[in-house]
Amino acid sequence: MIAVRNLHKIYGHGRGMVYALKGVELDIKPGEFVAIMGRSSSGKSTLLRIMGLLDLPTRGELFIDGIDMLKLSESEKARFRLEKLGYVFQEQSLITELTVLENVYLPAVAELGRNGYKKHAEDILEVVGLSDKTGHYPDEISGGEQQRVAIARALINQPRILFADEPTANLDEESARIVLDLFCKLNRQLRQTIVMVTHEPEDKKYVDRVIWIKEGLVETAYSDSPV
Amino acid sequence: MRRFLGNLKLSFFLAFKSIKKGNRWALALIIVVMAFSFINLIFTTSIISGVMTTMDSQMVNAVFSNLIISPPQDKYYIEHADEIEAKVVQVAGIGAVSSHLIASGFIESGWKEKAFPWEKVKSGTWNVVGIDPEREAGVTTIGHSMIQGTYLEKNDTDKIILGVEIAGGAFAQTSNFLTLGGIGVGDKVRVTYSNGIVREYTIKGIFRARETMQADHLAFVSRREMVSILGRSQFYNRASEILVKTNAGASENRLVSDLQAIAPGCEIRSWKDYGGTYRSVISTFEIISTIIGSTGLLVAAIVMFIIIYINVLSKKRQIGILRAIGIPRQAVLGSYLVQALIYASAGILLGWLLMRLVIQPYFIVNPIDFPFGYLSLHIESGRLIGSAIGLTAAAVLAGLIPSWSVMRESIIKAIWGV
Repeated sequence: MIAVRNLHKIYGHGRGMVYALKGVELDIKPGEFVAIMGRSSSGKSTLLRIMGLLDLPTRGELFIDGIDMLKLSESEKARFRLEKLGYVFQEQSLITELTVLENVYLPAVAELGRNGYKKHAEDILEVVGLSDKTGHYPDEISGGEQQRVAIARALINQPRILFADEPTANLDEESARIVLDLFCKLNRQLRQTIVMVTHEPEDKKYVDRVIWIKEGLVETAYSDSPV
Repeated sequence: MRRFLGNLKLSFFLAFKSIKKGNRWALALIIVVMAFSFINLIFTTSIISGVMTTMDSQMVNAVFSNLIISPPQDKYYIEHADEIEAKVVQVAGIGAVSSHLIASGFIESGWKEKAFPWEKVKSGTWNVVGIDPEREAGVTTIGHSMIQGTYLEKNDTDKIILGVEIAGGAFAQTSNFLTLGGIGVGDKVRVTYSNGIVREYTIKGIFRARETMQADHLAFVSRREMVSILGRSQFYNRASEILVKTNAGASENRLVSDLQAIAPGCEIRSWKDYGGTYRSVISTFEIISTIIGSTGLLVAAIVMFIIIYINVLSKKRQIGILRAIGIPRQAVLGSYLVQALIYASAGILLGWLLMRLVIQPYFIVNPIDFPFGYLSLHIESGRLIGSAIGLTAAAVLAGLIPSWSVMRESIIKAIWGV
């Protein structure tokens, strides 16, 4: 489903150049729940952003469902993100001017002709346990609830893949557990492909596979601990 | 098409939500700034337009009426004036006609009081116009402009009415030493005409037409009196000029050609052709008006740009998130465009309401007392529409440019600033 080939990412120029990714090779199968782990500045978030089409690699290839993503135009990538991908950020990423319900159905508004998106958003909010918060604004709910709203928003267009960048980093233990349980539920019940960056060792128990990144390279992609 | 409609729907959705949840005071400030920018565009040009309109109407009402029939180029007088007047008044679109018989007169006051013949008295040379007072009332407003005494009557022969700039006094704009020094009704003046005839008149009235260039520098006697001065046998049926008042809505250009057939050889012109000095003043005003309007528009555009730019910058991260979750670039841009259009529309509406309901009524009740007349705001609908379009276009640019510049940044930079 996701194939990453010889992916490089270099930030800066000249002496200030930083090699974030140095030739990553990776495959993720449909329905997998994968954690990308590694030390700080190892390149895991960079890899996730490139796979989530938020950033461009310096060189290399990225295929999703056999489509060469790097050959798509900006508007085609936006359309792909809207229809096929979901993205959950580490920090608060809700639109402050929209209610919880509006935040969730926002990506569906662009899909003109798609009826019942409000009902669908309400259903998803029920799944994430926030059916009583639909009319609240983001600043009226807790950080854990905000993150669950962000997950609900990422799911509204029924994406093939859900990317999550340290989704529990800013949450307390209980909220983090709720979010990870939710990911597990989505993965197990809906066969949702989930790619999650995390630095919490305990998160390993929730995922099918851990991909370890070290200094811009995949150290191992098939075991749950580094070589 | 479906995508376009989807983006449009999303743009309106985001714009309305942003305005609804945004800071109320900031919204009020933006709309008030827009409103005052619009008023600034309209007010100054309306004043200038009011000046131009007042000056134009003064020229028509006090001096020229609408059309002027002048003698042929090689003659000083129009022959058979009565017949021409009678025919002209029959033409469709003509409201009234009045012939003028004009002579230059040396006018003196207080000459009886001087002790020695060489003693200088208040005097000057002005044009004296012989009129039929009743007919004149149909073409000019001199009869309605009396500030002292009364208007002439047809059979007055020893009476004269003077423009305020001849009589002098508190209302005159001309320096006192160039006038008769403030004489009034009942005083005597002596007029020495260019043909040597000297007449004494009692001042029957003083008028102030507020047309300081020409009308208020004229003196009027009855036509009967002027004919007797110039020579009854030759001048009983002559005129120096014939003023023609057209009905409202009549085409002056069409009537000029109609009158050519009635008064062959005579020169027939519209009042506009005589307003040389005025026209140059007015065209200068028009240039000033355009400069002020353009500057106002530029200032309004810059103000809107700054406001919207700050607004967009404060939402840079939010724009990045919208793009990250796949909201099309056009929809995000569209939302700022819609917001700018809403600000502009609300501002224009508020500005227009303030103009119509507060400022314009105020100036109708309290017109500005200019030397040439009472001045009210004259709001031209063309200017109004032009200003609204200009301000809207400025708002659109002010909304698009900042959001476009943020949109050009990478998603990563917009969200995380790296």
